[in-house]
Formats: sequence, structure tokens, C-alpha cells
Amino acid sequence: MATRKSSKSPRRAVVVAGARTPFVKAFSEFLKLDAIALGKATVAGLLAKTGLPRHELDGVVWGTVILPGYAPNVGREIALDLGLYDVEAFTVTRACASGLQAITTAAAAIERGDADVIIAGGSDSTSNAEIKLPQKLMHAIAPLALGKAGPAQYLQVLSQLMPITDILPKKPEIAERTTGEVMGQAAERMATRNEISRADQDAFAVQSHHRAAAAIASGRFEDEVLTVEGSGGKRVYADTLVRASTSLEAIARLRPVFAKDGTLTAANSSPLTDGGAAVMLMSEEKARALGFTPKAAFRSWAYTAVDPADQLLMGPALAMPKALDKAGLALADVDLVDMHEAFAAQVLSVLKMLGSDAFARARLGRDTAVGEVDPAKLNVHGGSVALGHPFGATGARMVLTMANELALTGKSTALLGICAAGGLGAAAVLERV
Amino acid sequence: MSDLLVELNTKPWFRQAIKSLGLPLPSPQKLRRPKTARQARPLADRTAVLCLQGDLGDTLAACLPAAGANPVLLGVSAVPAAWRDAGEAHGRPARVLDLAAEAPEDARADALILDATGLEDPAGIRILYDFFHGWVGRLARCGRVIVLGRPAAEAQRPAQAGARAALEGFTRSLAKEIGRLGATAHVVYVADGAEGRVDPLLRFLLSDRAAFLTGQPWHLVATATPPPRVEAERALAGQVALVTGAARGIGAATVKLLAAEGAHVICVDRPGDEGPMSVVAREVGGTPLAADITDPGATAAILGALAGRPLHILVHNAGITRDKTLARMKPEWWDQAVAVNLRAIADIDAGLLAAGAFADHARIIALSSVAGIAGNFGQTNYAASKAGLVGYVRAQAAALADRGITVNAVAPGFIETRLTAAMPPVNREVGRRLSALGQGGEPRDVAELISFLATPGASGLTGGTHRACGGMFIGA
Repeated sequence: MATRKSSKSPRRAVVVAGARTPFVKAFSEFLKLDAIALGKATVAGLLAKTGLPRHELDGVVWGTVILPGYAPNVGREIALDLGLYDVEAFTVTRACASGLQAITTAAAAIERGDADVIIAGGSDSTSNAEIKLPQKLMHAIAPLALGKAGPAQYLQVLSQLMPITDILPKKPEIAERTTGEVMGQAAERMATRNEISRADQDAFAVQSHHRAAAAIASGRFEDEVLTVEGSGGKRVYADTLVRASTSLEAIARLRPVFAKDGTLTAANSSPLTDGGAAVMLMSEEKARALGFTPKAAFRSWAYTAVDPADQLLMGPALAMPKALDKAGLALADVDLVDMHEAFAAQVLSVLKMLGSDAFARARLGRDTAVGEVDPAKLNVHGGSVALGHPFGATGARMVLTMANELALTGKSTALLGICAAGGLGAAAVLERV
Repeated sequence: MSDLLVELNTKPWFRQAIKSLGLPLPSPQKLRRPKTARQARPLADRTAVLCLQGDLGDTLAACLPAAGANPVLLGVSAVPAAWRDAGEAHGRPARVLDLAAEAPEDARADALILDATGLEDPAGIRILYDFFHGWVGRLARCGRVIVLGRPAAEAQRPAQAGARAALEGFTRSLAKEIGRLGATAHVVYVADGAEGRVDPLLRFLLSDRAAFLTGQPWHLVATATPPPRVEAERALAGQVALVTGAARGIGAATVKLLAAEGAHVICVDRPGDEGPMSVVAREVGGTPLAADITDPGATAAILGALAGRPLHILVHNAGITRDKTLARMKPEWWDQAVAVNLRAIADIDAGLLAAGAFADHARIIALSSVAGIAGNFGQTNYAASKAGLVGYVRAQAAALADRGITVNAVAPGFIETRLTAAMPPVNREVGRRLSALGQGGEPRDVAELISFLATPGASGLTGGTHRACGGMFIGA
């Protein structure tokens, strides 16, 4: 996979701009906006904000997890809805790493010389997850739908539809196909196995909310978050899930949701969210030619996988060291660390793994730990627990915020880490340009 | 060939009815068997309660958390460093409980493991009582009991040898007591220098693969040179295996398991069974070879099928019975049984060895029989040939140890096959129930043991005869 080494590759993909919709609670303001509509709002906002001449845009790469069955190539539908008929577009899906996948795919294409300007990001609408009819029902009723059916056929079909539980539509669930384990149960098990306490999870969650609230209050996100018209014409201009006033005492009262004696609660888990996020990538030459100021570039990225039956969400503990190695950096060298907070327990588990010599020896084949992450560098403006987690958008939200952070603060590098269903891990190192 | 009683006992209403009617029916537990090929974490989420009274603590720490088990430690005051590191690396933190205190109310153990390698004298075996007395009641269905000890033969004093040998009688008896739970018990004797070979055997015995093995001593020795690498998954990738009697039963099951671990399998059976044998071969992408193993040209046919590839695994599974009391036995019945069950094995091995056909660290496995070892009415010929294998593998193992080649025998007990399905119903029912697990095994249960012995990780077992009998009443 592409490690950009400036000496070898003459072209460098740079992030010049980005935008995202407000992140809102599922089944609320964006109820009527599916992944395509959220993507359209994002890309339209980004185009308007940058004033990019339409003919300069070569492609759209989009990450979505809950693909709409009626039009799964979300990227192309977005382009079509925006009248970008001659802009090629496709859709990638890599669970919660889909947004980052879209962006690194775009960066690779630019660095390979396939394109000069690409908008890459992702969107998801949990509110518009489709309820599927079970395959058994579909197969059973096919003869009725496709042929001439007599009473005998109807009886035969009926006889196949037992037991009734097999043919009832199933509630969509974020469960592993291979293990049947729901994401929250996996995180609950990680909390137990890595001995992460409820108090630590709650403290991390409160910090996430407070940092996100501070960023919103200070106007830090104003340049990133678009105003989007939701259901009933209501204009949403800021994230709705962040709670500035939350406190340890308040969330300590919540009951565990994934296990009776568990430690994961609604407050220390990321909520179901609707939203979209995207960045504009260009070759460095093109950016300068068009008068854009490059903010950041990818020094490396890495994707990893583990057996989902082991620790489903430990991926970043493998992917982050790999990305650092490819970037030629140590953890201590990076100025910022941004981790997707699927669950506070999952972030804290990964941090513990990164800090463990024993883990490094057994799982990474290295003698010493990757290192401790300085809490002051980690998720400086909060993360998915507070902001919300529209699956396909999160990776793009992280690249957007970190690229801006590097540009605003003058710091040089940021390490990103994302866990994803299927036991996947994703990581990237961004550097200021 | 399914066992109705085992199936009925999976239904709560049946168990309830038997109980309330007070019927003296055995209630065999349906055994938990693996659904996939070997995996990196065969013990995922199983609770292993360990009593550490020896020097294998670090070996166990390197094995159990990595294999997925949640360890509970007894007999230590704090979590030892090796367990702390392993817990951190694999997310399986160890808990410490007081050995003297009663087990917690809700405690369940999927495995009870006693490291008794530190035994000094007969007084020391009180630990068997101290540990298991309280915990055996907490053992889960299809659970495991493992006692680790040092071989009596290596003891420094007679009293120490007595203490060590005591472990065997204890586990054999406990196996019978816990069999109705579908749970099994083993003693593993670890010879000096064989500590590094404990891990694969423990993973196997503790896993669902060893469902039908119980009441057995395992002698881990360091005589055969160990292979350079031992993989937990796809352990046989790139290897060539040959199984005789591959058309059905244990042979066919062995072919499938070896292939699932990555081996290319040459399936051998008599020309008369070519049909079913080639079905098996095609299913696993193996090579069919129709040959009579008693034929003088059998070795040449095998060499032809190998086509220059080194042979890594040879499973002598083909066997026949020609039952009759000795007084009534015709000479050709005697000859046939001995020719197939013993002579052909020795001849083929000798021929292949002379031709240099075996790879280093090859595995040779011959099928003996529990009935053969114990002796059986009307089976003088069969028992002679099957008992002969016990001596054969012991001697051949010693001869080939330097090349890292191991030679073992597997002795099946009552297995649900074509052979046992043809038995008179009463005899069949008695055969099934007269074992610790109260049921017959499936061909696959034997194949699991064979395929374990075929892996590089089984280098510590050689020259032995290992039963797959569910703790049968008869047999050594």
C-alpha cells in the first residue's frame, strides 16, 4: 500500500479543504435524508465553500456502510444529484473505516496520476437502514411471484414458512455476520478483558463531550460544519449530540445497555447518528495552480485485520504502529492523536495495548511497547462518543478536523486510528504541508 | 448410526421424564465437537481453573491465554509475572483465588488443570483431593480435567515414583465419575526436556477435538527431534499425507480432517472400494489410489503416487476382522487378518524407508484397537495383529527419532461405523454404554486424534498407543 516518500513519488496528494454536515441523532432532524442526500449536502457545501470550478473536479470517492439497496453506488448518485454528470464516482465500504478508505483511495489515485482533484468522504443515515425480508421468505414465495400458482403451490409455500420466526423481517443490527456478536457486546467484552473500569470509561466520555463542547463554543468547528436543511425545513447549523453540561455524576447513574453487569452505557458509547463529511484532495501542483493552500498530506496509512472472534475492535492497536512504522515515526514523535471513539472502552483498551510491552512482544513482534499516548494530544476536540458516529463519515470527519488542526496550530503530524467491524483496523499519519 | 439415547438426552423434557419416573436409564451427554478446522484460539472464552504446584507455570501461562482461555489461578498468592504479561498481551487477565477457600458460588470451570510436577512424596498427592474435591462440582458439561506430572521412571526416590504414578489411577477414576457430564480427564506426564511440547497437546486435549478421549495418560518425551516451526492453524499446509482404508469410516474422516488442515491426501483403498474412495478423494482434492496393501507391489504403487514428493504423514488405517474362536479358525482367516493388520504395515514402512520416501519430521500412525489390546473372544488373530502394532510402533519410534519422525498407534473403542451398526442390538447397546462417556464415538473422534498426531506440534508423542474410546470399560 502506498507509503508516500517524497524522494520516490514526484506527486503528492494534499488536503485543501473539507466540510461536514452537523452530526445529529438518528431518527431526528435528518430523518428524511438518506446517505445520498446527506452526501449531496456535504459535497454541495464543499463545492460552494471552495468555489472550485466544476470542470476541475475529476471524481468523487464515497464511503458508506449502510448502503441503500436501491442505489448502492452512493458516490455516483451524489454526483448525479449535483448535476456533475461527467464526474466519475464510486463507493467504497470498509465498515467504520469507509470514510478514511475513500480518502486514501483518492490520495492514491492522485499520487498515481489518475486524477488531479477528487472529493472524498462518506455519509451514513442510520435512520434510513432498510428492513430486509429474510432470504428464506424470498426463496419460498418466488414460485408465486414468478409463475402461475395454484392452491397446491400456495400450500407448498405455506409449508416452507415455518417456523414463523424464520420469516419475520429482522431488525437491522450492527452485528458481526460471522460471530453474531453485536458491536456493543464486543466492546463490553473488551472492557472486561482489558480491565477497563466504568469510572475510566465515564471519565473519558465526559472529557470527549467537554472537549467537543469547547470546540463548538470557541467556533473551532464553524469553518468545518455546514448548515443543512433537515426535515420540515428546519435548518441545522451545529452538532446536536454534544452535551456541554454533562458530568461524571450525571452519567454514572446510567444503566449498562449491553450486559446486565456491564460497564458500557449510552453515555460512554457512540450514539447512532446521521451525517456526512468530505475533504477535497488535489495534487500539490494543481492546488498551487488553482490558488489553494494545501493543509495536510498523508505521510502513510495502514489497514489491518484480526479474527473477529478475538477482540473485534482492537484493530487500531495493530494499524497505528504499522502506519507509524511506514511513516518512519515513533508514537512520541507525533503531535496529535485522533482516535475514533466507537466506545470509550474500546479506545481505552487500544491505549492499554499500545502501552503494553507484553502486547508488543506477543502481537506486534517488537520488544517494547508502542508507547503511552499523552492525553493532552488525544482527541483534542472530542470524538465519536460526543460528536456522534455516522459510520461512513467518521473517517472523513477525523481527516478534516486534523488537517485543519495542523494548519491552524502549525503542528507537524497527526496520527489517526479507527476500529471497524469485521475485526478491521485503520490508521494514517497526516503531516502539515 | 446416530445414538437415540444421546439425542433424547439433549431434550429437557426427556431428562425430566426419566428423572421423575426414576428410570435407571443412563443419560449420556451429547459431546461438543468442533465445527471448523484448527483455530488459533480453540479455548476462546473458556474458563480454566489452574492449581499451580510445579514448575510448568510459565509454560501454561504461554499457552492458555494465547489459546483464548480466561485463567483462574489457585495456589499462588499473587498473579505471577508470566500470567500478567500473557493476560495483557491477549486480553485474558488472570484472577487469583484461595486454594483453601471454597469456590465462589457462581464459579464454573470449563477446565480444571493441576500442575503436579512438583510432587515429592505420597503425602503430596493430597493436593488431588484438596483441589478437585471442591472444584469438580463446578466443572461444566463437556469440561476437561488435566493433571500434569513428571514420569515415575524419572523419579529420584521410590516414594516420589509412587506419588507420580498415583496421578494415573486418580485421573482414570475421575474420568469415570465425570463422564456422564461429557467431561473428560487426562494425565500428562512431561519428561525432562519435553516442556516445550506441552502447548500443542494441551490445546488439543482441552479443545472440542478431544471430545471422545478420556481417562488417559499421555507421555510427552523429548526423544524425537522437534520440527523448526509449529503453526496453530493450517498446520499441514504443503504436506503430503497418505491414508489407507480411505473409502469410509475412520479413514474417510481422517482424510477430510487432514485435508482441512492443508494436507494433500493420497487416498488408498482396495480396488473393490474404488468408488466410495474416489468420492472422498475428489471431495478434498486428493489423489485416489486403488491398491491392495497386502500386495507385494503396494509400496511401488505408493511411490508412484508420490511422484517424488516426500511423504509427511502415513496413516495405516486399513484393517479387517476375521472372527472365529481359535479352534474353528481356518488358516486363511488367520493369515488374512495378520497380513492386513500387521504385516502390510511393517512391509510398507520398510519399503518406503528404504526408498527414502519420508520427509524429516514425518508422522506414521497405525490403527490398533482397544479390543485388540485387551483381548476379545473370537479375535485371537485380530488381537494378535493389533497388539503387535503396539510393540511395532514403540520400536520403530526409537529407530526414527533422530530424524524427528514419530510413530504412534491409535486404539479406537466403540465407534459408530458400518462394523458396529451390524452388531446385534443388545451387544451394540452394551458396547456403547460401557464407557465413561456412556456412548459410542464418531469416526471423526478418532480422526481428530489421528490428525493431531499428524501435526508438527505432536512431536512430543512417539512410540505410544493412544486410545480413542470414551473411557471404555475394557482395555489398558
